[in-house]
Amino acid sequence: MIQLQYIDSGILEAYVTGSATDTEVKELMYMKAKYPEVNFALQQLELDMEHIAQHMAVMPPAGTWDKISNTIDELVLRGEYDPKQFTTDARDNNYHNFKTDNSPHFIAVESESNHMKVHKNWKWVLAAVFVLGKIFLGCAIYFYLENRQAQQQVQELKTELKQLKK
Amino acid sequence: MLLGYLFEALKNKVVAEQYLVDIFNELQFSDIQAISKPGVNTFSQLQMMARKKLTSFSRAADECADADGKLKDLVIIGNKFIDLMSAEQQMVFCGVHYHGKTTTGLAAQLSKPEEEIKRILKESFIIIRKQRNDTATVHR
Repeated sequence: MIQLQYIDSGILEAYVTGSATDTEVKELMYMKAKYPEVNFALQQLELDMEHIAQHMAVMPPAGTWDKISNTIDELVLRGEYDPKQFTTDARDNNYHNFKTDNSPHFIAVESESNHMKVHKNWKWVLAAVFVLGKIFLGCAIYFYLENRQAQQQVQELKTELKQLKK
Repeated sequence: MLLGYLFEALKNKVVAEQYLVDIFNELQFSDIQAISKPGVNTFSQLQMMARKKLTSFSRAADECADADGKLKDLVIIGNKFIDLMSAEQQMVFCGVHYHGKTTTGLAAQLSKPEEEIKRILKESFIIIRKQRNDTATVHR
């Protein structure tokens, strides 16, 4: 039987290990769809590959999922929408006779939400700005007090000099 | 499981993790739909994507065999399936599975007909299948 010969040819093994040529892949897809035996053999080989991988599985480090989920969260699934077909009255195409349902007749251009979405990376930027702001504020207070103290000392020295001159 | 495969191929945990993150981040919505279809082995599809991504790295990485075709001592350490294979089977399986080589490329490298390479690859899978069935029997 041709399907058994095909299974024995080693093309299925080449496919699951990614070493099959484009022509072989096309041929395999055809054989898979046509012969359930080929499909079953391919599924078994995929399970073999999965079995090897299970044996050598490594637990991902703690932060790996966060790195992946940051991107996945940005993918928003769009709900399925089946638009109604446009139909008119064949006898009279006058616009007064167009049948419309109660669905909205305009496209909402402006978003209803007042919130703005920003990338998660901005939280680190904002945190850095906040910390730097605190550092600058601390420095300003420190130098202001230093300056005031220095001025007082100068004033005292001037007073002392005046008294000495007298 | 995918990280385990990447780690085996790259032999570096940090780089393997980065590859894993990149693979998932590069997935398009259409890819997710394709790999999660009923009847499709999701892991197998992800592994194929990973293998494609690794191709450029694999060419620069250590080969399974020396220039004269002699198998290196340490191909993949601690993989019980590969340990059960003969040197020739290891060379073919490792070259295809971990280094993304084609059967045609391996045939040219090892100066053997492509059918012979496919036969050796098939034998490798027979060993894996036998091991899988034995494990299943033990667990049963």
